[in-house]
Amino acid sequence: MRKFIYIMLLFAIATWSVHAGGYQVRLQGQKQTGIGLIGTPFNYGASSMFYNPGALSMMKNKYDFSLGASFIMAKVVFQKDATDYQAKTDNPIGTPFYFYGAGKITDKLVVGLGVYTPFGSSTTWDDDWAGQMLIQNISLSAIYYQLTASYQINEKIGIGAGFVYATGKVDLNKALPYNNSKANLEGNTGNIGFNVGVYFEPNNKFSFGIDYRSKIIMKMKDGDATFTVPSALSSNLPKDNKFDAELPMPANLDFGVAFNVNEKLTLAAEVNWVMWSTYDSLIFTFKESGDLLNSANPREYKDSWIIRIGGQYQLNDKLTLRAGGYYDPTPTNEKYFNPETVSLNTTGLTLGLSYQPIENLTIDLSYLHLFGQEAEKAYEPDNFSGKYKTQTSIPGIGISYSF
Amino acid sequence: MKYRYLIYILSLAILTACEPKIDEFSPSKGSADFTTYLAFGNSLTAGYADNALYSGGQENSYPNILANQFKTVGMQDDFKQPLMPTNNGVGVELISTGLFFHTKLILGYATDCLGQQSLAPVFADPDASQSDLQTQLFTSVANQGPFNNIGVPGLKSYKALSVICQSNLYYARFKSPDANFVLEEIPKINPTFFTLWLGANDVLHYAMTGGTNDSITSMPLFSSSMDAIITSLTQYDTKGAIATVPHITSIPFFNIVPYNAIVLTDQALVDTLNLGYAVYNAFMEAMGMEYRINFQLGANPMVIADPTIPLPDSLAMLKMRQIKNTELVLLSIPQDSLKCAYWGSQIPVPDQYILSESEIAAISGAIDNYNIKIKDLASLHPVALVDMNTYFNEFKSGMVFDGINFNVKFIEGGLFSLDGIHLNHRGYALVANYFIKDINRTFNANIPLVNITDYPGTQFP
Repeated sequence: MRKFIYIMLLFAIATWSVHAGGYQVRLQGQKQTGIGLIGTPFNYGASSMFYNPGALSMMKNKYDFSLGASFIMAKVVFQKDATDYQAKTDNPIGTPFYFYGAGKITDKLVVGLGVYTPFGSSTTWDDDWAGQMLIQNISLSAIYYQLTASYQINEKIGIGAGFVYATGKVDLNKALPYNNSKANLEGNTGNIGFNVGVYFEPNNKFSFGIDYRSKIIMKMKDGDATFTVPSALSSNLPKDNKFDAELPMPANLDFGVAFNVNEKLTLAAEVNWVMWSTYDSLIFTFKESGDLLNSANPREYKDSWIIRIGGQYQLNDKLTLRAGGYYDPTPTNEKYFNPETVSLNTTGLTLGLSYQPIENLTIDLSYLHLFGQEAEKAYEPDNFSGKYKTQTSIPGIGISYSF
Repeated sequence: MKYRYLIYILSLAILTACEPKIDEFSPSKGSADFTTYLAFGNSLTAGYADNALYSGGQENSYPNILANQFKTVGMQDDFKQPLMPTNNGVGVELISTGLFFHTKLILGYATDCLGQQSLAPVFADPDASQSDLQTQLFTSVANQGPFNNIGVPGLKSYKALSVICQSNLYYARFKSPDANFVLEEIPKINPTFFTLWLGANDVLHYAMTGGTNDSITSMPLFSSSMDAIITSLTQYDTKGAIATVPHITSIPFFNIVPYNAIVLTDQALVDTLNLGYAVYNAFMEAMGMEYRINFQLGANPMVIADPTIPLPDSLAMLKMRQIKNTELVLLSIPQDSLKCAYWGSQIPVPDQYILSESEIAAISGAIDNYNIKIKDLASLHPVALVDMNTYFNEFKSGMVFDGINFNVKFIEGGLFSLDGIHLNHRGYALVANYFIKDINRTFNANIPLVNITDYPGTQFP
């Protein structure tokens, strides 16, 4: 157990990658992941903090802890337009993780703390690949720390809200069009946000959930920009520079419904409105040589609607099985598809199981497979285009302990 | 425990995580036959760059790049080029004392007459001996031939079918023993596909002497020469591609030195100059001519010699005027003379460094006519037209490929090599892609383009 926790903590310093829905990663609970990443209409204990803080108040035990991680193995292939050139990414295994702890203050009031990683992206192309001037490799990650309070109005309705402090970091490398030249941008930042949710269980057949998570803009200030250029250009492009940039973590509005067919079988559906249109452009402002380096890079993302379905079946006292699927259309713009975030129209299929060896302990396993549809994309400002296709395997493991 | 099996199955699914696959590019030759490819042209075809012919430049010549791509659609034989023995290569200039041989240019640091050091093109090996360079150029490589790339630096259209091209050192180097001129090299290869890009030198030599020497090839001569060349190339209904001539006055060589390079910051000097030209101005006024020379603080147009001013030869020293902003100064102008020897202010810049409005008009007119002829040939023969002139015009306002910006500016523009006339390796790769696009379109072929990032741009120290 101690070793397990230790391994989980290691992930806290790792980054990850996913290739659907921009750079959002909704792997904040293995039970939810197994059932098509649906969480809003469920009371899955402490992990409801992320999916619907309103459901947290329905927690059965006095204390509930949940810990888990996923292992993202994402592969991207690229076929450059009108050439016989293909490139593949060699992405590191991404490891989003979560930890939640919740306790009942009174019968009706639950408070909790959550640490989780809802956004991130890690893409590693070869340094000398055809898109090297756009991106060689990038890793984005955000860690959210959430304080949550949830109140049970009555046996049917729970409401909740969370205060979020988010930290983010970015590390990107790209080539410059001079001999042996590249730029590295690295920085950390933090900002605040919130989430609110309502959980409604009118009878023992149905449950509904609605959840809103606010946009958080990661404002990078005085990030480190390191330029490696020939000495003849070092006066134009100083080696050590500072940059400002901002990247939005978009707001989400989720609505979910679950239906208990019988005592063993539950079916559920959910829609997520992800307000990606806030990601209009990526603007870099440099402290030195600004007139040469400053750039506004259009992204022009559009809002996306994710549709999810899933079901769970309680086989016996110890074992519950889950499966689900969803369709996640890309929020990217046709003209501004940058290989830093290869986000395609994606179909996800999920499997999951919960094993309860003793009454208080649950071990959750999940497996998510993403199929990114082959599509012709272009980043027009750089006249770079081609076909992309992705495949991603994401196994996950978690434990929950309640008493 | 039976659940263990579930975990095994799950692990297996993960380990075999499918690789995403995209159908590979499928090349096709369309209606053309690329078995044997011949490239006919001038320095641009030879891979000349940085004011020299050198092995690295030749390896990145657009014909060599094309040949590599043609291999995907059935090119059989090796594509032979008369490679220079060194990567520093040889360039040759005619100067007052005779021929001067030198290596290619690289970017380095040069110190000017004011003692100021700046980034500038310098010879890769300034100490290379004249005899070594001559040996490189004079040693025949004909026994390694016949060659598929018969691009000859300096070749003009009509010289391709005249024995006078034997005096071209680059041609003499690879000339087949029984060929008399470049045209007679064609049957040595007997191509099934050719490219032809010729005509720039028919105006360039004139332009590079500021219109003082050499002459623009007349339209009838250009026309008949091109007819003869294309007839020979298409003898067996051979297919190919023919490119138009870019408007050379847009290249860096004619656009680096600004017309108003005389920058004055001292009012006393301004007054002295104006006093000095007071007699000239009074004389011109008396003659009823509109020429005036005036200086002020800031940037001033150069004073240039203009032999066309209608004055008697006894007054030759007054045949000067200030340059117009529509006229061009050549890169060959000695910069130190401008900076330290009062050229352009007290001493008129010699005519050989200036293209006047009328000279520019003559050059442009000739190129327009050449291109009409080339397009005519393209319509009469089974060839793809590569309208390089139009493509090059697009670079004036800037182009971007795979995240690399290109324009026609010197060095920073990323397109031209350090001589300001020829392209750099990336520039030649772009040319190859233009050829491929038009060949694909014309012959319904599917030849892959090259990645521009695979080709080096100008190397900075």
